[in-house]
Amino acid sequence: MSQEVFLLPDVGEGLIEAEIVSWKVAVGDTVVLNQPLCDVETAKATVELPSPYSGVVVALHGNPGDMMEVHKPLITFEVGGDGSAPAAAPAAAAPAPAAEEPKVSNSTEGREAVLVGYGVANEDGVATRKNRRNGASATPVAAAPAAAPLSSGPVRTTPPVRLLAKQNGLDLSSIQGTGRDGIITRADVERALQGGGSTAPAAPRKPSAPKTGPTQSTRFVGHDLAPWATGPKEERILAKGVLKAMAEAMVLSKTTIPHAGVWLKVDATKTMELIAGLKQQSSLEGVRISPLTVIALAVCDAARHFPGINSHWDDVTKEAVIKRSMTLGIAADTNKGLIVPNIKEADKLDLVGMAQELNVLVDKVRAGTTSLAEMSGTSFTITNVGPMGVDAAMAIIPPGSGAILAVGQVAKAPWVVDDEIVVRQVVELCLSFDHRMIDGALASKVLAHIGKFLSDPAAAIIAG
Amino acid sequence: MATKTMTMAKALNEGLRRAMEENKKVLLIGEDIGKLGGVFRITDGLQKDFGEDRVIDAPLAESAIVGTSVGLAIRGYRPVVEMQFDGFVYPAFDQIVSQVAKLRKRSDGHYTMGMVIRLPFQGGIGAIEHHSESPEGYFAATAGLRVVSCSTPNDAYWMIQESIKHDDPVIFCEPKSRYWEKGEVDLDNPPANIFDAVVRREGTDVTVIAYGATVKTALRAADTAAVEGTSLEVIDLRGLSPFDTATLEASVKKTGRVVFVQEAPLTASIGSDVIRQLTEKCFYSLQAPGLVVGGYHVPYPPTRIEEDYRPTVDRILDGVDRVIGFGS
Amino acid sequence: MIDEELVQLLTPEGERVAHPEYESTLSGEEIFGLYRDMTIVRRLCNESTSLQRQGQLALWAPIQGQEACQIGPGRALAPMDFTFPTYREHGIAWCRGVEPKEMLRLFRAVSNGGWDPYKYRHSVPTIVLGNQALNAVGYAMGIQRDGAEEAVLTFFGDGASSQGDVLESFVWAASFNAPVVFLCQNNQWGISTPMSVQSKIPLYHRAHGFGFPGIRVDGNDVLAMYEVSKRALENARVGGGPTLIEAYTYRLGAHTTSDDPTRYRIDAEVEVWRHRDPIERVKSLLVHEYKMKQSRFDEVAEEAEKLALQLREDVLAMDRPDPITMFDNVYADMHPLIEEGRQEMIDLGVTGGAH
Repeated sequence: MSQEVFLLPDVGEGLIEAEIVSWKVAVGDTVVLNQPLCDVETAKATVELPSPYSGVVVALHGNPGDMMEVHKPLITFEVGGDGSAPAAAPAAAAPAPAAEEPKVSNSTEGREAVLVGYGVANEDGVATRKNRRNGASATPVAAAPAAAPLSSGPVRTTPPVRLLAKQNGLDLSSIQGTGRDGIITRADVERALQGGGSTAPAAPRKPSAPKTGPTQSTRFVGHDLAPWATGPKEERILAKGVLKAMAEAMVLSKTTIPHAGVWLKVDATKTMELIAGLKQQSSLEGVRISPLTVIALAVCDAARHFPGINSHWDDVTKEAVIKRSMTLGIAADTNKGLIVPNIKEADKLDLVGMAQELNVLVDKVRAGTTSLAEMSGTSFTITNVGPMGVDAAMAIIPPGSGAILAVGQVAKAPWVVDDEIVVRQVVELCLSFDHRMIDGALASKVLAHIGKFLSDPAAAIIAG
Repeated sequence: MATKTMTMAKALNEGLRRAMEENKKVLLIGEDIGKLGGVFRITDGLQKDFGEDRVIDAPLAESAIVGTSVGLAIRGYRPVVEMQFDGFVYPAFDQIVSQVAKLRKRSDGHYTMGMVIRLPFQGGIGAIEHHSESPEGYFAATAGLRVVSCSTPNDAYWMIQESIKHDDPVIFCEPKSRYWEKGEVDLDNPPANIFDAVVRREGTDVTVIAYGATVKTALRAADTAAVEGTSLEVIDLRGLSPFDTATLEASVKKTGRVVFVQEAPLTASIGSDVIRQLTEKCFYSLQAPGLVVGGYHVPYPPTRIEEDYRPTVDRILDGVDRVIGFGS
Repeated sequence: MIDEELVQLLTPEGERVAHPEYESTLSGEEIFGLYRDMTIVRRLCNESTSLQRQGQLALWAPIQGQEACQIGPGRALAPMDFTFPTYREHGIAWCRGVEPKEMLRLFRAVSNGGWDPYKYRHSVPTIVLGNQALNAVGYAMGIQRDGAEEAVLTFFGDGASSQGDVLESFVWAASFNAPVVFLCQNNQWGISTPMSVQSKIPLYHRAHGFGFPGIRVDGNDVLAMYEVSKRALENARVGGGPTLIEAYTYRLGAHTTSDDPTRYRIDAEVEVWRHRDPIERVKSLLVHEYKMKQSRFDEVAEEAEKLALQLREDVLAMDRPDPITMFDNVYADMHPLIEEGRQEMIDLGVTGGAH
């Protein structure tokens, strides 16, 4: 048994009150669903109200002649357990308050039911904000991060800042923007004006603290770090998600795998020429071919010649496990942190196939749609640190595999050809390997093979 | 086949013919479109070849023309409705807005309003009242409709066919002042993404966006501007609602300045909406506010003075001057 | 007040009368079926009025008194015929198989339609007066082009008969000889506007002016409504062209639940029409001519009661839809403004989520 309160609905399109003309029931009466309860009169009409419940009348909240307010209690019922009408509250009704208060019925949220509609929403009082746009998923105004290069392309700034610059005779293309996505901010202009000291009146320079650095945030394993200047002096990030996974994998790797490494500098000029030449091929339009494509081919080729490099140590069975199928992992830096998606059966791919597979892999990484299956079973990994602007790295072997090849940047460097110093496109490779089953001799042969492939890819492809 | 030179009117005629050949469900309905071939001869010869059941001379009632087309669409046909003139679409406005635009939604996607409503629009033909209107804004403001406009014979040929194939209702605006101008029509190769905006002339200083009859005027203005030392990039909008923000954004981000040219009055128009969206999307690239050069907020004037109402080369260049005058 | 030309086969007292051109072809069981239809529809209609008065529906448009106008033609339709209703054809919807709860979605304000029109061959409701008459004629023109033997039945009231769209639909139906039957429910009132203001001549005469047959029927006589509709629909199906049927009836209730008819009608007039109740006269016929037992009528009442309670339950369970559904089915294809709007709603956390 429970109590139900029937609130007076607005029976005439925005009316706020109605007068009780007569009751057709009394306290204590048992009423059935739709039984006439009363007649109410509004400025527009006299209307009969039918009962929304079967039950017993517990209280009438007004007398004939009383002006009743819309959306206020009109009549309270005791509604029985069996066979009584289902609770009238539509889904959107306010949640039931404390237990002793009878449940409020009828009416959609904040609206007062009317004859011709659910009524005008109640807009009295100060509205509290119900929803705020979720910053993380807000459609960004501009796309990729990275600071804007100086004066390349049109200047990006706001109209008021343009005005400020114009009024002060400042050329905006001479300024590095430090705002989001490299936009020139008012502060940038003011700074430039102070520093430039052109026509601005020279205020005496106060001794000041050194500048505290840039104002944009940076990425740190899937988190945005506030700028140096404005972030907390000590910030703690709990290990969850990618951070936790990475920490655990690296510890596992370094404590169980005896790492050793071999290095090689390679003249990759012919690889770069091959790629440039292929870009001219119209049949390959839309297929992105990069040094990584050729390196991936080189790795697979090396594995075919030296299967032992495509192995891992099974410490449970104490066996070295050699695979004759290359599941090639490519280390990737994403917004969330480091992941290693892989290409299954990479050894079966030719140049175009490898390029296409890499394109798909990169697109999925960018979209954040790499699946778990695509990240498991890696037998050999390539990590390309070149784009970050370094020469080499001693990478950590992902647990479950036996080796990882780090590739540095391809850059012009002096090289000896026929006893002459010439400028070539040079790249440095570093192969880290599990010294439990792969020895230095094998690793060196593999790295040399890869180097030879890169120094003359066409010959290597033909040699097979 | 290859390419043929023809007028826009002929290109529309050929496009309709091809659409009717390819799909037996395509019907034409309108006033005087059968025996007479349409007051602009757009449907010339089609009733003779396809019969009175497929090219229907309608009684004189625009609301009925559109209302019965709704019923035909429910029955699975693809009506192509001709409103004789822009200014006579208003009796049909109720059916267009209340039924054509809303029946897909009202039926939870069961009904397809696969119809095209062709409107000869804009002025510049020295006509009398009600024959030179630009009502496209009313339809662009109505969810459920798509609005497009062609500016060349090639676009006309392909756009009418694509519009007929589309499952959404299309208000197809034909610049009547361009009906008799000739151009090359490639009868074999449809342009890709015909409802996307297209750069008609590349430039670096100001982006000028136009549609329908004003495209040609904008191109002429670009010629004059070039002589004066200003490089205009002219874009033909083509799809008016929705419109292709990507092409427009790329251009405005390049030039930093934009002028929108329309015959329609400035108030609550396509241009207002394009500039609103570009302001949001290109804010940091703008050197000046976007401007609209358009008709004045008056009923279309008697055509003896229409040339001072419709955007001319001078008025477009005045807009260009103003936008450059905001400095950088 | 009633024209001699009005077709009637059953008097308000439940006695059969002969008519030179029409006769009832229905069996006792079939007539009982019509009684059942009308009783159920009336009960569901009354339940809906209650629901509105209890704040559960935004609005309700009752058909009290007009049950025979709709059940008669409703049961004369062939399965492949198509119907184009206004917002008050609950009896037709019932005959076409639309579920009662589907009929109430519009009035619960959770949908502007409510059912799959092709499933029931009954179009979605049209609130703008007269629009559906033109749509119906167009559909009929489609039937002609398909060479099918099907008819279209469309509806409007005495008020809407003044609308341009309705008159234009007469022009077209005649000019194209379209297989459409126009059913005008002349319930004497367009909200507060009496019939005399809408037309100086009986409405069915208009058809003659446009060039096709018009016929007036006692709208409260379900036998006559059935026979006249049946013939008109058959005529349309075989290429005989359009017919206008004027169902002469009375709106016993209000225009909608927001209307108060006591302000413009006199009780005496309503009382006169109460004695012409469509259901009572059929019950009378069934008792006297077919000797039907009270238990059969009781069963129908019970069935109607059950359906009413079920409808109540269904309506109360009709939840506010996820607001993100407002973006569905506006266009057939992707539209950037739809995508933007949808995304904004997701970003603001307003919606239940993934769609």
